[in-house]
Amino acid sequence: MDTLLFNLIWILPLITVLACAPISAQKETLLKTIHATSGTIVLLLVGYLTYRLYTLGVDSAAKESAPLLLHYYMDIPWLHMFNAHYIVGADGLNMFLLFLTAVIVWGGILVSWNIKGNQKVFFALIQLLATSVYGVFMSMDLVLFFVFYEMEALCMYLMIAGYGSGRKDYGGKKLTLTLAFGSSMILATLFGLYFESGIYSFSLVELSKVTLPMDFQMWAFPLMFMGFAVSSSLFPFHFWSPDGHSAAPTAVSMLAAGVMMKMGAYGCLRVAMFLMPEAAKIWLPYVVALLIFNVVLGPFIALRHKDLKYITAYSSISHLGLIFLGLAALTPVGLRGASLQMISHGFLTGLFFATIGMIYERTHTRDITEMGGIMRKLPFLGVGFVIAGFAGLGLPGFSGFIAESNIFIGAFQQDSTLTRIVTVLAILSITTTAVYILQTANRMLHGNMPAKYETLTDATFREKLVVVVLVLCLLLIGVFPGWIADMLDQSIAPMMRW
Amino acid sequence: MYIPNFIIPDLLLLLFPFIVIGSRLFCTDRSKVPWRIANIGFIAIFVLLNFIPLSGGVGRFFITNWHIDDFGVLMREVLMVSAILGIWLAKDYFEHGGDGKPAMHQIAEFIGTVAFATFGGFTVVSACDLLTFFLGLEIATIPMYALAAWNKRDQYGSEAATKYILMGSVATAFELFGFSYLYGFAGSIHFDSIQHAVASGSSPLLWIAVLFLFAGIGFKLTLFPFYTWAPDVYEGAPTPVTAILSVTSKATAIAFLVVLVYGPLSPIKEQVAPFIALLAGTTLFVGNLGALKQSRLRRFMAYSSIAQAGYIMVALLGDAVMGKTAIIYYLFVYAISNYLAFFIFGIIGHHREETFDSLRGLSKQKPTLAIALAVAMFSLAGIPPLAGFFGKFHLFFSGASTGHYGIVAFAVLNNVLALYYYLQLIKSAWIDDTDEHLNPLRMTKRQRNVIVLLTVAVIVLGVLPFLSDNIFAGFTF
Repeated sequence: MDTLLFNLIWILPLITVLACAPISAQKETLLKTIHATSGTIVLLLVGYLTYRLYTLGVDSAAKESAPLLLHYYMDIPWLHMFNAHYIVGADGLNMFLLFLTAVIVWGGILVSWNIKGNQKVFFALIQLLATSVYGVFMSMDLVLFFVFYEMEALCMYLMIAGYGSGRKDYGGKKLTLTLAFGSSMILATLFGLYFESGIYSFSLVELSKVTLPMDFQMWAFPLMFMGFAVSSSLFPFHFWSPDGHSAAPTAVSMLAAGVMMKMGAYGCLRVAMFLMPEAAKIWLPYVVALLIFNVVLGPFIALRHKDLKYITAYSSISHLGLIFLGLAALTPVGLRGASLQMISHGFLTGLFFATIGMIYERTHTRDITEMGGIMRKLPFLGVGFVIAGFAGLGLPGFSGFIAESNIFIGAFQQDSTLTRIVTVLAILSITTTAVYILQTANRMLHGNMPAKYETLTDATFREKLVVVVLVLCLLLIGVFPGWIADMLDQSIAPMMRW
Repeated sequence: MYIPNFIIPDLLLLLFPFIVIGSRLFCTDRSKVPWRIANIGFIAIFVLLNFIPLSGGVGRFFITNWHIDDFGVLMREVLMVSAILGIWLAKDYFEHGGDGKPAMHQIAEFIGTVAFATFGGFTVVSACDLLTFFLGLEIATIPMYALAAWNKRDQYGSEAATKYILMGSVATAFELFGFSYLYGFAGSIHFDSIQHAVASGSSPLLWIAVLFLFAGIGFKLTLFPFYTWAPDVYEGAPTPVTAILSVTSKATAIAFLVVLVYGPLSPIKEQVAPFIALLAGTTLFVGNLGALKQSRLRRFMAYSSIAQAGYIMVALLGDAVMGKTAIIYYLFVYAISNYLAFFIFGIIGHHREETFDSLRGLSKQKPTLAIALAVAMFSLAGIPPLAGFFGKFHLFFSGASTGHYGIVAFAVLNNVLALYYYLQLIKSAWIDDTDEHLNPLRMTKRQRNVIVLLTVAVIVLGVLPFLSDNIFAGFTF
């Protein structure tokens, strides 16, 4: 029963799209209500399944999924020529990422209530995007995984170019083509995995049971790791992210930064590092070298920008750098920190982009030099933005602190001078983060308010709901990290193969 | 004389041009009867083909010159799908008049010509010796020359046809030269004897033959560096002819290569492989580069289909089962996606100029067409979960199965290039503002139905495994 419900997570958004197809595009309220209801149902469903997974514990994990401890495991033959199966399942890591996705999708639907343009198509695209992201976090077969993984970039393009602002076509193309470049690198290595493993299977579980030839791992690992890292904007493939995010409508920014960028890091861990542990050990120090750009220079670039979305985009780049630092640590604590950071940063950046979008909807500018004193008119949104900022710079009590402290401890445990130096640099860069966040909040929220903002009104109930839920999620992880960390530890343990 | 029932579809197809053209004697100029007869007949042949059991066995008839195997049957089905869709597309063209006035009286001849071209493809996949093989290729090609020049009063059409016939004749000469050397090398025109001779030893003579064969078929398959005729011909020929040219002609040419590479030349396949990889890589790169800056729809499709030919070549690197499965499946998918695009371009071209700008505002005026266009383009670009993705996956899978990761990686990376220009087209239809000066589009109910049918096929054929599984099962019985 639970397994069937689990499959509904990705099917339900598709059903919603089909159900809305015959409804006339003029009936916008009806369409939006259907989509919001569907989003809520999926959120509750995922919440229930997460709770079930917590109560069931690792002992009831599916036996056939060993060495992974997967629940809701399902295996149906699909394409015979490639021996591709429809395999889905989830452990703690996947389940929390699914929960994150469900929250962000739900929030994305609610904040897009007044989007301009053809709303029917827009909400259908959000649901398709949701389907693909859910699919990525559920599938345990690499063909299935890849199908979902590549689907998402296309929806992104249509949404950014069709509903975005500024250089939307440029931003959308840049994002989609860069991501497609990444996924093509992944696709090329998938074939290698299939044939070189000698077992002719795309199943993650089956592939993890064999040791891949070392010479194959040596070229396939960097290709696959970088392919995934493209969508997590690891230097030198970070360039799509600021342009893409700034051109995208609010909901897409939330989904792209909150969820999609995690798909890359998740893929790095679940596919590249899990299947090719020997090569991971050799190659990851080089990744640490690349990270210096993300974690050290990212905040400095954010400092120089005036556009709120650019600031947040560079802040995301630096936070995702920390995820890679956790991964590259190759220690249980580091991996726990990286997984926590994926989830924490998802909520955090979702909150960031949601409040920015709401402020932009009112002020019609994202340039912080043109704003000032809006705290007086928009106290709720102002506080929401400040909370996101505090969580972002790792204030204790919020999820960011838990995640980042785990990453730093884990990375410092590793016996490598380079990693330790980068860790110290990363810890120092939190100061820079504090500078740009406080500076932005100060310029935007305090000081003299231009006269044109006298008529601004604060958040509606709908918007408040989204902000409150996201803040609650941040606090939940920040204040009660124990049970989440336990579940993450259990799902990470089988992946520690180096 | 014993006539096995395997051969009934072939005989029917041979009979059909005469019936259809003959039926013109009994009906008026505007009558749809010839079209209806052809439609029923073609569909009947397609259905009959599905009844031939795929058993891995080989039937030989007519003094061992003609055989029917699994690949032959499946290839026939691809060609029939192309022919059926081709005459559906032609009906719109002739009813509304491509060059200004309706020309329904020409459709019978048109159908006859298409049937002959299709029969040429049948012959290529059935041939057991070089003579029949060559005959098949010519039967497939010569009707194409006539089809390209169909619009007699159009100067671009005439230019295109002239170019095509000149290039095609040179290519034929190349092939014949290659055949003669192959005969000289093996001392026989029979495939079995040639295969035996190739296996027992190689000589420069053989390599000259192979070179010329690939050059000759390179013209027809629009491989680099012999692709230059394609953009002009695709643009000059009437829309249904362009579509048939891009599917039937290409399918015949690739079938020719499959028969050669997995038949007589199979003993030296390992040595030919780098050559195939080189042709595939350059072709898909050049096709993708060429398509980047096009602004006219049919020129764009020409470059796109050049690139597709390159992708198909990648599959030839695999072993027989994987290569043939991949190619057949991809041809099905490619045929459907391509025809879907041409159905849409046909409607656009009937009312407007055939440029990217004519697509502006399509998503607001005709959402059905805009969705279908997006599906067709994403399928050709190889985006999951559409059929085109799984088609390309088959092709690359086959290439990778023999360890040619380099060319597979190159082809996969090229897909990003391809995605860029397909996105350009989607952008015109979905993102750009409406242009008020464009003529309104009209779509008949039949056109709408066909477009919806093909769109659903493109979405469903990829995700549901029945087509690919059946093809695969056919080869691994």
